[in-house]
Amino acid sequence: MGKKKKKKFQQLPFRLNILFFIVFLLFSTLIIQLGVVQILFGEDAQDKINATENQTTYNPVPRGEMYDRFGRLVLKNEATRAITYTPPKGGASAEEKVTIAERLAELIDIKNPEDKVTERDKKEYWYVLNQDEANSRLTAEEKELEIAEQYQATLDKITQSDIRYLDDNEDLLEVIAIKKQLDRAYELAPYIVKNTDVTAEEYAKVAEHLNELPGIDVPADWKRQPVYGFTFKNFIGSIMEGIPSDNTDYYLARGYSRSDRIGDTGLENQYENVLRGMKEQIQYTTNKSGNVVDSEVKLKGTQGNDLVLSVDIELQQEVDKIVKEELQTAIEMYPYQNRFMKDALVAMLNPKTGEILALSGQRFNRETNEYEDNSFRVLYDAHRPGSAIKGATVLSGLQSGVITPGQQFYDRPIKIKGTPEKSSYRSLGTVNDIDALKRSSNVYMFYIAMRLGGEFNYQYNKSISYNPDSFQEIRNYFSQFGLGVETGIDYPYESTGYKGSNPAAGNLLDFAIGQYDTYTTMQLAQYISTIANDGYRIRPRLVKEVRKPTVYNDKLGAVLKSYNPEVMNRIDMDQSYIDRVQEGFYKVYQESGGTAYSYFNDAPYDPAGKTGTAENEVYVDGKKYNTENLTLVGYAPYDNPEVAFAVVVPNTGAISGQYPINHKIGRGILDAYFNLKAERDENGVNMNLQEQEQNEETGDETASKEENSESE
Amino acid sequence: MQTKNTKLDYTLISIVLLLGIVSCFALYTVQPGLRPDLQDDQFYLKQIVWYIVGSMFIVVIMLFDYDRLRQIVWPLYAIGMIALLMLFFNFPGEPFIRTANGATSWFSFPAIGTIQPSEFMKVILIITLAHVLVKHNDIHKKRTNKSDLLLLFKILILSVPPMLLIAVQPDLGGFLVFIAITASIILISGIRWRILFGLLFGALFITGILVAAYFLFPGPIQTFLEESIFKYVSGRFYGWLQPEKFVQTSGNQLYYALLAIGSGQLVGKGLMDMEVYVAERQTDMIFTAIAEQFGFVGASIVVTLLFLLIYRLIHVALQSNDVFGSYLVTGMIGMFSFQIFQNIGMSIQLLPITGLPLPFLSYGGSSTITYLLAIGIVLNIHSRTKEYMFD
Repeated sequence: MGKKKKKKFQQLPFRLNILFFIVFLLFSTLIIQLGVVQILFGEDAQDKINATENQTTYNPVPRGEMYDRFGRLVLKNEATRAITYTPPKGGASAEEKVTIAERLAELIDIKNPEDKVTERDKKEYWYVLNQDEANSRLTAEEKELEIAEQYQATLDKITQSDIRYLDDNEDLLEVIAIKKQLDRAYELAPYIVKNTDVTAEEYAKVAEHLNELPGIDVPADWKRQPVYGFTFKNFIGSIMEGIPSDNTDYYLARGYSRSDRIGDTGLENQYENVLRGMKEQIQYTTNKSGNVVDSEVKLKGTQGNDLVLSVDIELQQEVDKIVKEELQTAIEMYPYQNRFMKDALVAMLNPKTGEILALSGQRFNRETNEYEDNSFRVLYDAHRPGSAIKGATVLSGLQSGVITPGQQFYDRPIKIKGTPEKSSYRSLGTVNDIDALKRSSNVYMFYIAMRLGGEFNYQYNKSISYNPDSFQEIRNYFSQFGLGVETGIDYPYESTGYKGSNPAAGNLLDFAIGQYDTYTTMQLAQYISTIANDGYRIRPRLVKEVRKPTVYNDKLGAVLKSYNPEVMNRIDMDQSYIDRVQEGFYKVYQESGGTAYSYFNDAPYDPAGKTGTAENEVYVDGKKYNTENLTLVGYAPYDNPEVAFAVVVPNTGAISGQYPINHKIGRGILDAYFNLKAERDENGVNMNLQEQEQNEETGDETASKEENSESE
Repeated sequence: MQTKNTKLDYTLISIVLLLGIVSCFALYTVQPGLRPDLQDDQFYLKQIVWYIVGSMFIVVIMLFDYDRLRQIVWPLYAIGMIALLMLFFNFPGEPFIRTANGATSWFSFPAIGTIQPSEFMKVILIITLAHVLVKHNDIHKKRTNKSDLLLLFKILILSVPPMLLIAVQPDLGGFLVFIAITASIILISGIRWRILFGLLFGALFITGILVAAYFLFPGPIQTFLEESIFKYVSGRFYGWLQPEKFVQTSGNQLYYALLAIGSGQLVGKGLMDMEVYVAERQTDMIFTAIAEQFGFVGASIVVTLLFLLIYRLIHVALQSNDVFGSYLVTGMIGMFSFQIFQNIGMSIQLLPITGLPLPFLSYGGSSTITYLLAIGIVLNIHSRTKEYMFD
């Protein structure tokens, strides 16, 4: 026995000591690692804790406003009353939100809550109030689901009879509608609960009870209010509430918060960086439980900067009116023949500076039988321009050397073997380059096109030699005028028109008379401006200046940035060639026999330009109808142009004795421009335009329809 | 000789008492920072109750000679296994079986509350293995390779089934504790070194192969890990290696535990002054509360106190002149040492996070009673140790 014990006591203590030694090592490791964590990196840990205690909030500032070229307010921020909710750090619990919503519902009125509340909203509300009951309905399996799935399963088990009592209870529906708004707010970012139709009474009541409503605030808010209703509204554009969800990271990285308003379309979008301003930064110090204990303004925000547009809003109003009235006259004169006609488009700008004075597109909506402002079509819609682009054709011919100044051709119908006969509107006899413009000879242009294609010996009803590369050559010439390329306007989108893809000889001939590719009204305006401006193609601008915001709506702030005229290119053509085309354009308007002579010869401001008529087929139910695009480009005064314009009226009825709507609009808008100029020379700019509008309409949104009889 | 039977180990009692005081005190300090739904329970008061209940168990145990345990060892083992099997088959199901955090580890009784059988099974396994060891060594007086391997087989056949049942709950922490218990019993079983080293190298070799395979064929193995039951284990590994990166998921608990402990620095932030919210602070993460309030100094004192506990257990094991007693205490040493090392180690990034309470300090009924039961057995062993004058 003793021996056995001896044996045990020999080996057991030894092994126990090994065990003890292992334990000792383990505990030593613990102490060493504790030292590393607590002493070596202790301060780092404390720094991390302190760092999470501050959170910066970015408060939105008012957006920049827009003025017209004479400093008349065009787009303003109208002060509104708003009720906002800012959740605490880490968010508020559903129960807290329901409590706030219940209290708020007593103070404010929500219109038609039943339309804003979905069945799911009702179920979520019911769930908050009856959590235990709802959870008890889950099966054991469902309880093991992920939280989100489990929540969905819980909602699915809430029956119609559970929530039926909510349906007719207006008060509870209001609570749910408010809770829904509260749920959308992100932590520490103010979210608007209600900002339309907040009455003074509601505002005061909520302000009085702020201490019972954690997170609720009643800040001053604003909304965008175009002063002249629909006038130029298409180009001013619109803003949206909340950054686009498909581009969240992009905007968050640029200092936006999720609920920010952001330029969505038009100039609001193009000049977003100018208009948005810099947000006020407030640093909130939060304690562990997420309550705000201190706040400090880290950066005083600056309001967004104002834009001074190049547009003359008074002229714009008149142009809109003229375009609409002429469109109406034309349609009502020949309702059947003009049954496909619906648009009339105008672009007006200063050819020397590129400053856009007015852009107008009026549309007759044939479904509602109403006239609508569709001014964006000036940039978006491209049409065949017809002869209006012949100035570019002649210049291409002269520059390429296929014709020489004064070159004559005999204008009679042309026939290439295997294709239909082509001609001018009638045979014009012998014409030179200037006459060809004045009287709008198609045949002259066909000769230029054939020669560009390599055929110098055209014979009636014979085939011609033709190099398809000439198509690209003539398009290159045209693009120097802005035809077929972007005009470079400061706007988020513009169409460049449709380019025909078949480089056949017949198409080249059509191209030369504006019957093949399509162009926007803005492109045509840039083309005529380039010729008026001795070959310098200027970038068209909607915005003249960026200015600092002021507190007064009738005064402009200091200039921050002024956009100078920007020459995009000078056309290759010799000045002497340009002079000849200008002379041709002058004769169109001013010499007997010119295609626009009868409408403009008595105009005191010396206009020049070119008319155009393009055949344009309309297909309805597979059936083809012939219509015509009536166009007109021009500038005035001839010697020192200060205004250039393009008019496009697509799809007029192809009838003789058609109402000359292109000329009527052209004459009307030039008269309006020079009348306004004369009036201003005498009385100065009418700065009170806006007040007249406002007196009439008391600044209400519904009144911003186009009613501007005042100015006539 | 019989008069010596009533001898009590006051050192051990003092250490456990001190730990009990530290536990209740720490629980009192974390109470205000707990989740709102835990605010109704006053954990420090409930812990005091568990300590009193546990102490009563100790008194009961002291009445009997621990050698009597050998008579009921098989029924005990059977009860433990049946309990684990019931959890495994989820029988009789709800509401008698509770699943929390994805692990089916608890029985739930209306009046008593929840019971975690794996805690009790730890002590039962220690008793069983000690008993088997003694019996085997009595029969096989002369050690041969054959007898050693037979003993090894007996130990494994008893310890592997409960181990696996706990692993599939899944309770990785509990599983590792069973390995620690088994390993320490094997160490002192008397099995000769050649076999022990063979076992050690074999284990290292298999681990090495697994690690090498992971690096050689990361694709399929990773897919296997992420799609099988090991998904939750591998997630913990990622969270352990890069807590900041996985702060939203598997690294969350470690990230905040490190912040809490680290920011305690040398002397701590002071009583009741805690800035970091750590989940499960009343149970597995109790150590973070001590380290944040009392810093390196306070944390080291607690670690030292726990070390003294182990030292005292070693002392009792060495003193005992009965092999059964020594084996029992050794099992307890394996259990306590590993749990302490794992629990504190996981909160300071030494080991991955597993759900394991810190013995005597974490709140918990089943665990506190189990550990006090174990201490009761140790006290019993000590009190029945005969002192020889010249030994």
